[in-house]
Amino acid sequence: MAGKNKTTSFDALVIGGGIAGGEAALNIANNGYKVLIVEKDLSLGGKMILLSKVFPTLDCAACITTPKISEISRHHGITIFTGTEVQNIVKKAEKHFRVQIKKKPRYVIEEDCTACQLCEQACPVVVKDEYQYNLVGRKAAFIPFTIASPRAAAIDIENCTLCGACEKVCPTKCIDFTQEEEIINIDVQTVIAATGFSLFDPLRIPRYGYGKYRNVITSMEMERQLAPTRPYNTVLRPGDGKVPDRLAYVLCTGSRDFTTGNPICSQICCMYSIKQAQLLMGALPMADVTIYYINIRSFGKGFEEFYEQAKGMGVNFIKGKIGKITEKDNGNLFLRYEDINENKLKESEHDMVILSVGVLSNPDNALFFNGDKLWLDQLGYINQPEPLSSPAETTVKGVYVAGSAAGPMDIPDSILSAGAASAAAISYIIEAK
Amino acid sequence: METEKGKTFKYLRERREVPEKAKENLKKYIRIKKMILDALQKKEMTITQLSQELGIPGHEVVFYLMTMLKYGLVKTGTVDDMDEYYTYKLAD
Repeated sequence: MAGKNKTTSFDALVIGGGIAGGEAALNIANNGYKVLIVEKDLSLGGKMILLSKVFPTLDCAACITTPKISEISRHHGITIFTGTEVQNIVKKAEKHFRVQIKKKPRYVIEEDCTACQLCEQACPVVVKDEYQYNLVGRKAAFIPFTIASPRAAAIDIENCTLCGACEKVCPTKCIDFTQEEEIINIDVQTVIAATGFSLFDPLRIPRYGYGKYRNVITSMEMERQLAPTRPYNTVLRPGDGKVPDRLAYVLCTGSRDFTTGNPICSQICCMYSIKQAQLLMGALPMADVTIYYINIRSFGKGFEEFYEQAKGMGVNFIKGKIGKITEKDNGNLFLRYEDINENKLKESEHDMVILSVGVLSNPDNALFFNGDKLWLDQLGYINQPEPLSSPAETTVKGVYVAGSAAGPMDIPDSILSAGAASAAAISYIIEAK
Repeated sequence: METEKGKTFKYLRERREVPEKAKENLKKYIRIKKMILDALQKKEMTITQLSQELGIPGHEVVFYLMTMLKYGLVKTGTVDDMDEYYTYKLAD
């Protein structure tokens, strides 16, 4: 399809519309600068907007994210492109970056969509809902999720049968299959990379049985099951719809493990698993929850108390490394593990296993710079040449890093990092004048 | 080509082949949806009972039934005495 070309300019480009990118954009725009956020997904909010609650306060994640996202969306100094990717960046001169971005067609005129969802009801197609981590289906004409921003429909063209049912029912006639991909050239003074992280794919550890045993799920799938906008009517086993009552968490799945290529600690898995265990004990009061761990790393403010609270609630902690998971005919799972404290090999039976998957660098960190090179570290995170004195700086002057694009970190640290990146970016712009 | 608002799908249909995978997905959903609705017409059932009656793996029943729950075609019934399995029934 032929693309359209446009050129425009902003003071700052923020790549990534998650919590770090959003915070950085707000800080810069609040100082009177024009900011463009480029988000590859259909909604702002990143991974945080899909969480149930946050640790250690157990505040509702959506209650924190939604007002922030709303402020970003309504800010007169911020322009947002969703469904858009950065293709390459050329540093033309100091304080002048030329950025080429590709805006994919949404097939819906965003401004005209009232989010009535009539198109979604009319669409006959059902495919896996990636925003619910494939636990349930969605339509090909769909609003990504309830609190998506922008709250506008989109057409999944790869799964659309072009039946026209959505267009027939749309009261504002905002569905537009004539939309085409656009290539847009942008001039900016500074760039913030807030590309976030990716999650470890547990298929890379076949002995845990993920993808083979249906009742072995990831922590993000459990996060969705615990969220108010959950895929099921309650917490259920995806294999047969049974309400589980003996759940096991396997910590360090794809973290601190040389064999998977990720030797470092992901920093958030211990605490999100403890958080989920507490939420499960609320959702399923009769359930037994066991956490298999190597070390519990409760290093942050209020984390140790949160861990103690979980123990007090009855969460069972076993210092043990899981060797293998096997499935019984009834869908229950046998965990063979080394009990590190007793120095013994043991087996235990659970009816659902949650793999606490680790954090990996985002492949999108490899931003396409022509000329100056944005260095990545050995694990693919954006390299910080001065991590102690100037943590937001990268190897390209005028390009700053915010949040977990620089390495694994929790939400408060991501927001702090975004503050540092936005302050550095503003200083750089002022320097230009 | 002039395109009439509200009928732009025709524009794309002339330029793009509908992927086979999309057609197959649609057929599968329609078939399984009908099977589940027919079964629930007779009585409320659990996912395990539906799986056995329809000969569809449990995880597929979970996926399609929960999708139908999301779109308001079925609703949750009651849970058994052991608090293990919910029944599901047709929505009103």
